[in-house]
Amino acid sequence: MLLPRFDFHEPATLAEACEMMAHYGAKAKVIAGGTDLMVNMKKKLLSPERLVSIARIPELKKLDSSPGMLKLGPCFTIANIAASEEIGKTWGAICAGARSLGSPLVRSRATVGGNLGTARPAGDMPPSLMAYGARVVLTKKSGQRVVSLDNFFRGPGLTEIAADEVLSEILVDAPPPYSGCSYMNISLRSACDCNIVNVASFVTLEGPGGPIKTARIVLGCVGPTHRRAVTAEKTLIGQKPSAALFDTAAGAIAACVPGAETADCIPIDDFRGSADYKMEMAKLLIRRTLGAACSEAMKQ
Amino acid sequence: MSNFEVINKSAPRVDGYAKATGRAIYVDDMKMPGMLYGVMLQSPLAHALIRNIDTSAAARLPGVKAVVTAKEAGTVKYGVSPARYDETVFCYDKVRHVGDNVAAVAAVDLETAMHALSLIKVDYQELPVLLTIEEAMAEGAPLIHEEYPRNVTAEVHQEFGDVQAAFKECDLIKTTSFVNKRQDGAFIEPQSCLAHYDHFGNLTLYSSTQSVHYVQRTVAMVLGMPVGRVRVVKPYVGAGFGPKAAANHLELATCLLSIRTGKPVKMIFEREQVFMHSRGRHQFFHKFTTGVKKDGTILALDHECYLNGGAYSSFGIATVYYAGSLLGGPYRLANMKYDGYRVYTNLPACGAQRGHGGVAARAGWEQQLDMIAEELGMDPVELRLKNMLVAGDVTCNDLNTSSFGMKECIEAVRDGSDWKAKKSKLPRGKGIGIACGFFVSGAGYPIYRSDTFHGTATVKLAEDGGSALLFSASCEIGQGSDTTFCMIAAEALGIPLESVRIQSGDTDFGVDLGAYSSRQTLMTGHAVKEAAEDAKRQVLEVISEKLNYPVQDMDIKKGFIVFKKGKPDISYLRTNYIKEHRGWSDNPGAEGDLSFREASRIAFLSRGTIVGTGKYKPPELGGKFKGAAVGTSPAYGCSAQVVELSVDEDTGKITIEKMTDAHDCGLAINRTSVEAQMQGSLSMGLGEALFEEVKFDPQGRIINADLAEYKIPTSLDMPPVKAIIVESNEPAGPFGAKEVGEGAIMPTIPAILNALYDAVGVRVFELPMTPERVYNAIRELKEKK
Amino acid sequence: MAKLIHLTINDKEYDVAVAPNETLVDMLRYRLGLTGTKKGCGLGDCGSCTVIMDGSAVNSCLVLAVQADGSQITTVEGLETDEGLHPVQRAFIEHGAIQCGFCSSGMIVSAKNLLDKNPHPTEADVRTALSGNLCRCTGYQKIVDAVLSVGK
Repeated sequence: MLLPRFDFHEPATLAEACEMMAHYGAKAKVIAGGTDLMVNMKKKLLSPERLVSIARIPELKKLDSSPGMLKLGPCFTIANIAASEEIGKTWGAICAGARSLGSPLVRSRATVGGNLGTARPAGDMPPSLMAYGARVVLTKKSGQRVVSLDNFFRGPGLTEIAADEVLSEILVDAPPPYSGCSYMNISLRSACDCNIVNVASFVTLEGPGGPIKTARIVLGCVGPTHRRAVTAEKTLIGQKPSAALFDTAAGAIAACVPGAETADCIPIDDFRGSADYKMEMAKLLIRRTLGAACSEAMKQ
Repeated sequence: MSNFEVINKSAPRVDGYAKATGRAIYVDDMKMPGMLYGVMLQSPLAHALIRNIDTSAAARLPGVKAVVTAKEAGTVKYGVSPARYDETVFCYDKVRHVGDNVAAVAAVDLETAMHALSLIKVDYQELPVLLTIEEAMAEGAPLIHEEYPRNVTAEVHQEFGDVQAAFKECDLIKTTSFVNKRQDGAFIEPQSCLAHYDHFGNLTLYSSTQSVHYVQRTVAMVLGMPVGRVRVVKPYVGAGFGPKAAANHLELATCLLSIRTGKPVKMIFEREQVFMHSRGRHQFFHKFTTGVKKDGTILALDHECYLNGGAYSSFGIATVYYAGSLLGGPYRLANMKYDGYRVYTNLPACGAQRGHGGVAARAGWEQQLDMIAEELGMDPVELRLKNMLVAGDVTCNDLNTSSFGMKECIEAVRDGSDWKAKKSKLPRGKGIGIACGFFVSGAGYPIYRSDTFHGTATVKLAEDGGSALLFSASCEIGQGSDTTFCMIAAEALGIPLESVRIQSGDTDFGVDLGAYSSRQTLMTGHAVKEAAEDAKRQVLEVISEKLNYPVQDMDIKKGFIVFKKGKPDISYLRTNYIKEHRGWSDNPGAEGDLSFREASRIAFLSRGTIVGTGKYKPPELGGKFKGAAVGTSPAYGCSAQVVELSVDEDTGKITIEKMTDAHDCGLAINRTSVEAQMQGSLSMGLGEALFEEVKFDPQGRIINADLAEYKIPTSLDMPPVKAIIVESNEPAGPFGAKEVGEGAIMPTIPAILNALYDAVGVRVFELPMTPERVYNAIRELKEKK
Repeated sequence: MAKLIHLTINDKEYDVAVAPNETLVDMLRYRLGLTGTKKGCGLGDCGSCTVIMDGSAVNSCLVLAVQADGSQITTVEGLETDEGLHPVQRAFIEHGAIQCGFCSSGMIVSAKNLLDKNPHPTEADVRTALSGNLCRCTGYQKIVDAVLSVGK
């Protein structure tokens, strides 16, 4: 398969990259690993005139996990995340998301910034990152801004990143004590598959056996973007973890008005599965991830 | 155990080194000076008249050397079976599916060729699109091919015995339906070819094909060339599984472009085009009504099947027969009625894929037999053992089983899987299932009516050095046939395997129908054995003359001449040999036995080049009824399989834990290759059972024409597979060998279906068994209770 | 506008002029004649184009040649040395893990990369490491047996 023609630029610094994006704007696309971008270009879904590669900019590949916060460069590979003990011991669900992505060959090249930027509703990295409350830094020539991932995804393939911006860092706060997070996904095969449904749940308890203080549930594949199951989260606050409680939370996502913009879960019938099955699986994974997250929280 | 020197052992493949080091050359690895790149223009519409094709802009583009349409290609019809030649190289009046072929371009590079394609203007007039059997057969539906009313490619109506009378004697009659989905071959190497028309008018086509012979004949016929001026060569091939067993548009268009430009032209399918070409497994809609006595004796089967065949016939006329005929076994069944309809639709054409028409039928019927066993209170193993065919039986549709190790296969998997301890005894969510199957060892008749030999072979002994060179037009496509034939030749000649070299897959070497219908080991194997024995006979005759020793008391073993009634004085021969080889450091000593190396040299000096030839054609097979030919074979492989699985009831996801397969291959020539083919068959069956289906949108476009969304098993999806070889010594096979390559897939899908029922008590009558389908079946069952 | 890149392939240094839209697999196969690496799908779904790039096994059909500037690449051609076949190659041959051979280059390269990082993998490790390399012929059994035998 042939790629369309384009000009290729390799800025050496973030500033240079921002300069280029300011200059070329929508005629250019940022490339890191390229595992998703190249597929879209080969399928003729995208034909940017220019590619601006940020893959060689050292500061964009770093991992910094000082106590209290994880700072990830966007070019940190999915394979490295999956294998990172540093990330795993505090933010285990992020590693679980990374392990589920594609195949080992794709994981060697794919990057966390790329997976966020490509904004596929079934993406493996957004659920856990959103569940941990991650924020992204968007840098441009004239400055930078920080955006919560909750407000980052606008639609399939569409993000908050402006034409002259580069996603330059991912920030994840360390979870408070008595927290737990779990990511689970359902696909047909055991590798290389696009998810049918994926969910991440994050909880913080008041104490070791205590009621739930904070809850974030993120659903993938059941809407145009990854979304917080806000209605379900509300059912958990102030309650002690139990199977019955998780059932209630799961059930809450179905109680929303179907089609409503604010609904927790708006799956569609498509060639991967029916809306009905996706809804049932979303409920199932909410139950299972809440169970796992609460178990982790209670062990601390 | 076995008294063979070379065969019946595990031998490393003769092509293993080339493939392991990246030295093996496949078509796309080839390059020729001045080579052009070709691309096909394919229809974006599923059904449309072609009003006009304007290639002028494309032809004018710098770098474009030829643009061809039906105008240049002609409209000679071809296909697989002459009774159903319904394809032309390019569409001339209408297109019949998305991906149908309209034109081709040859240019100096791929980018220019692709650009030229975009400049070709085709005026289409859309026609109603028929995607389902119901739509295609509906009253007043447009005809996809004018000659075929109701869009029925072929119809079969057969009855053996008297089914209605037999039903009256049955204690239980069961009716179930079953449907699979269209599958794709998904071989990792897409179709590829390189054609070179030289200035003497000889055409050489290098192609990733399963049958150089069928491609040669089709190219000659369609392009109007004498067969003798067309040479088809198969380099290394990245598998076929059926879709590559007949000539395709790529090959014909590439040859045409080379003829018109006088340059070599290479053309490769992108993966999406592999899906649009298809020629893979049909979608079958089966309905089985089976009658049994309460002691489990199967008395009668009334079977109806509709096949969604796509836009062209391909192997479809054989498929619709196989779907019925292969249920004549592996059980005794005296009364069988079959009504089959293969229907045209505006989808890519379906053809023959591993197991051909038998796989979906096997799946649905073996599941039904399990249901019958349950109702009768019988263990499914016992039901099968009770009814199975034994060697010497003839089925109601005249298929002869000269060897049939079904009992050994069933017992082997029953014991090898710990069936008795597990059936109905595993915890809820875990299950075990069994199924059986059988398949032809080569179709009894070629796809074109002919008295041709099905395979010829030549063994030429090197004039010096003790090597044997084997030439065959057979096709090594990954199944291991090159190694198998070297082993057969070595065994028949009496020399070590290392002394045999093979060249194959070239129409210059003879006639061979190719790698399809699981035929090569038995059929080509016979020809190879005969050729090797012919060469051996000539060598022994010369030595016999020279030593005045009776030839019937001589043999060749392990590379040495064997004198059964006392060793004669060979010193005269040896002295002459050593005189000829002054300077060699490994000449035979004075006392050693007479080596094949010496004997073949002596034979050359006496008679000139020693060439042995062999040929094979099956005997007249089958009954006299219409369609009797399809399903006939000189022999049948058979198998039994047990699958163990677990089900996550909350998601419906099935995990296959273990597979145990026993296959009767008559005699394993290369044990490693037999096991390997069994394991590969099982992986294709598992994929078809759980993941695979080609999906279309309402316009007839393929939604999942890539290997991400069309899901074949990965290494994490396949369980450990225990492969057990059963050997029944087939009298019609060379050294007793018969097939394994296709038959092994037969029991896989039903074993999984039956294991699912054992695990969670649900039956699924539609493939694939996706988590959603299983989940819904479980939910439905719960709601019923 | 072609770009000149410098890279090391199988311990040999190359200077190659490549187009920006040229993939690494196309550069290897068509410019450098290293046809051992195969193309099965073009989209990173089948793994037959696997090479090792800077220590990791990757789909070379999804890498631009320009992205490989300055990199160390190992292809299947680089596995056999003056001492003979790589143990993984020998094991594949001995175990009958090769049928049509089209996935084999990628499979062998992925396996070598696994063993370089994890010399004694479990069966689960092997199956995971090879999960991006599709095979339609073997059912993976003999491939897994071959890799485990090298890791013993």
